[in-house]
Amino acid sequence: MTPEGRPSDSPRKAARSLDSPARAPRFAEDSSAHDSPVLRMVTRIATPLALAVSLIIFWQGHNHPGGGFIAGVMAAAAGAMYLLGFGAERAARFAWWRVAVVGVLIAYASGTAALIAGKPFLYQTVFHVPVIGHLPSTVFFDGGIYLIVVGTLMTIFVELARERL
Amino acid sequence: MTPSEWTLLIVVFAPFVAAAVALALGRWLGRQSGWLMVIAAGVSFAGAVRLFLGHSAEAPPVYHYDWIPDLGISLRLIGDPFGLFFAMLVAGIGLLVGFYSVHYIDDLPKARVGRYYAALIAFMGAMLGVSLADDLILLFIFWELTSLTSFLLIGFWYEKEDGRKGALTALQVTAVGGLAMLAGFVLVSVAGGTFSISELSGGGEAARALQASPLFSWALVLILLGAFTKSAQWPFHFWLPGAMVAPTPVSTYLHSATMVKAGLFLVGRMWPVFDGAPLWTPLIATIGLVTYVLACWQALIETDLKAILARTTLAALGMVMMLYGLKAPDQDALQLLSHAAYKAPLFLIAGIVEHATHTRDYRKLGGLQSAMPLTFVLCLFAALSMAGLPPMFGFLAKEALYANLLENEVLSGSPALRVLVIGLCVIANAFLFAVSFRLIVDVFLGAPGEKSRDAHEAGPGLWLSPAVLVAVVVGMGVLGVTHLPQTIVNSLSSDAGAHVHVSLIPSLDHPGPLILSGLTIAAGIVVFQMRWVIGAWHERFKFLPTMQRVWDEMLHGVTVFAVAFSERWQNGSLRWYFSGILVFFAGLCAFALSRHGFGFEHFDLSVREATWPGVTLCAMLLAAIWRVTTAPTRLSAAIAITTVGYLVAMLFVVYRSPDILLTQILIETVSTIFLLLVLYFMPAFRPMTIQPARRLVNAVISGAVGLSMFTLVLLATSPTFREADNLADDYLSHALTHGGGYNAVNVTIVDQRGIDTVGEVTVVMAVGLTIVGLLRVRREAA
Repeated sequence: MTPEGRPSDSPRKAARSLDSPARAPRFAEDSSAHDSPVLRMVTRIATPLALAVSLIIFWQGHNHPGGGFIAGVMAAAAGAMYLLGFGAERAARFAWWRVAVVGVLIAYASGTAALIAGKPFLYQTVFHVPVIGHLPSTVFFDGGIYLIVVGTLMTIFVELARERL
Repeated sequence: MTPSEWTLLIVVFAPFVAAAVALALGRWLGRQSGWLMVIAAGVSFAGAVRLFLGHSAEAPPVYHYDWIPDLGISLRLIGDPFGLFFAMLVAGIGLLVGFYSVHYIDDLPKARVGRYYAALIAFMGAMLGVSLADDLILLFIFWELTSLTSFLLIGFWYEKEDGRKGALTALQVTAVGGLAMLAGFVLVSVAGGTFSISELSGGGEAARALQASPLFSWALVLILLGAFTKSAQWPFHFWLPGAMVAPTPVSTYLHSATMVKAGLFLVGRMWPVFDGAPLWTPLIATIGLVTYVLACWQALIETDLKAILARTTLAALGMVMMLYGLKAPDQDALQLLSHAAYKAPLFLIAGIVEHATHTRDYRKLGGLQSAMPLTFVLCLFAALSMAGLPPMFGFLAKEALYANLLENEVLSGSPALRVLVIGLCVIANAFLFAVSFRLIVDVFLGAPGEKSRDAHEAGPGLWLSPAVLVAVVVGMGVLGVTHLPQTIVNSLSSDAGAHVHVSLIPSLDHPGPLILSGLTIAAGIVVFQMRWVIGAWHERFKFLPTMQRVWDEMLHGVTVFAVAFSERWQNGSLRWYFSGILVFFAGLCAFALSRHGFGFEHFDLSVREATWPGVTLCAMLLAAIWRVTTAPTRLSAAIAITTVGYLVAMLFVVYRSPDILLTQILIETVSTIFLLLVLYFMPAFRPMTIQPARRLVNAVISGAVGLSMFTLVLLATSPTFREADNLADDYLSHALTHGGGYNAVNVTIVDQRGIDTVGEVTVVMAVGLTIVGLLRVRREAA
């Protein structure tokens, strides 16, 4: 089998030759083309709401639908909304990849904590904390996953959105 | 823990602590970091001596910690005499080399010197670990650590091409051998049921199980590959001369006195395990003898002092290897000690000469004895020991070698073979004799060479270390009139019952060894006189392929193959990749289904749950999918695909699966955002004309994938399958009892399959970082 139909030119070149000569940079704060007050207004309200929901989903994950992974995706979706409303450069002020790294460190640390307690790596248990009550130790590991998902997805969003042709 | 357990731990791990300190503080300490090596070596040496004197050979001290009990891997150190002998050799020479190195490595950036010492000290720790490890996996870890630190140290002058190449070749060769050795260790543990060397060699149950196993010979060959590459035995010898680009203390320590002896040490450790293996003698003795003879020949051809010494090192290693092959392990301590005692000072002297004259080519040297009298005397004694002349230690070792060969039981079957082996050994030693005298005559005597003018005597920092070793050479030789050297080397051998006769006074009842020594000296004088002729004659054979060239060609071939393979299979066409993935998927499904008795009778094809909302959604799904395939632009295709995703989510509503519903909606949203962000950079959509044949192939692949997925889902939901492998119930019940949560999916992710998740999230993070790297670098370059 020979692979067919590989454009001879590089994709970027082909795009230039076929489409409009130059495109405005996207999502930049100076670009009026994408500046929508309505979107900003909605974002202002919806982003914190979505974040709150993501935290609730995270918290109930042990017994109800949810968990760190899905809550992280939700928070990243909220972040994406913010990015669309306020521009990639503004979203890029924060080094999102660090969130992912911190998440990985937390996940490993929670596993290592079990080692220090003399249990196998990643051994999980349930704590009984005053006020909160029943607290599974998985919450730390799950929190790590949450941060990794948010950090990685936001990193990719921001970096892709900042790309220019 | 008993004091001896503590001592074992300190002997092995003190250097690692010192290495960490050197790494951390090297920036400030600079060349003074070398004292860390001296201290660490001193501590380890004292500990090893204490263990050796404090314990009988029958009850060696042991430290045991169950490291990974599930795999039967333990952190087990043992202080048996042979291991302690090796540890004392490593730490003792480490001490002298560290001291020498402080005075040798100067005028370099401090941070770099710190890194150098960190690697050198860590190497010492790794070698001590190799010496004392009783667990095969632990041994392997330390073993590979020596390869890694050796790589770093050979590549010390990394800005030079030959420095990088030498380091890389050494690493490649020893790592290939190391991996083979690991495979051998695994085979041993599979057959013998344990990783413990002392259990395997004790003649107990594990040893019997191993000897009876069909894996026995395979394990032997694989482990020997590790030993041969590490000890630079022919045909893997070529990395050692290349490693001589390292600073002289490194060459002395790693590539003469200790690391290259690790292969021999391994064979010394393993001979009790592989006692009676049919391959043992033919393989080891032949390789050892070939290495021995070839190296002696090449030592005379080389012109670089360190290369000459590297070749003679190979010769000594080959000789000991041959002795192991001839089932004479009782000599190992004698030969190794004797070699280390004369070769290490010779290397250090080569370093002194280079320091003073800035060359290592003996053709540019000569007459140095007037400018460097002390160095000359040290070199004289060490070289006489290498030549095997009395009263040096080397003479005792050579006599013992000849005595053994004359009475060796392995050779007793065939007198012709014995004559051949002895003849080759005499010739090899004659060459070694000539090389020794070349070091004395062509470097220190005769007319001054072009580089001899600036020669000056070295300071005590440089000559003290070789002087100590030369004192050992002479002392052990002269003490040969007593029984002391004999007692020492016999108690240090890997053979607990060793009783090698070592004496300076020749026995007149058995004059054989003395006659052979005389023959060696006579032949050596002839070779020495012909040394220039032999060198010129060798020039004619330059065209012959060397192993280095063979190896380079092989690596080149690997690259060529990899490039061709990548260009064929990784050609950048997404269609090609996708076809590959799908064909593999369909094939895997077909394989799995056919193995498990594929039949529609197992399927539950009822339409009970086909409610009207469900059927409607499915119809809409079909329409949306049709839209995807016929979309005129990428954007409309993306929207259609998103529609498909949300319709599937709706199906989860209908069939009451809130967990997956939530996931599906969120993932669909996020991936749509991705898609839109990426679509911007795609070339304009150009529907392509696809040839009919290709179209047919695509249709077949699509059909196969659809059918596979269809049967897979049906099978997974069929009652028979549920009864056979009830994974679902398993997970659901364990979620509550083990994980303490009702959400089985999440409990599975964070608890029951936590290790998988850790791996996955690490990959996710790595992907994120990679994307940052790729996109930012590109953007910043633009």
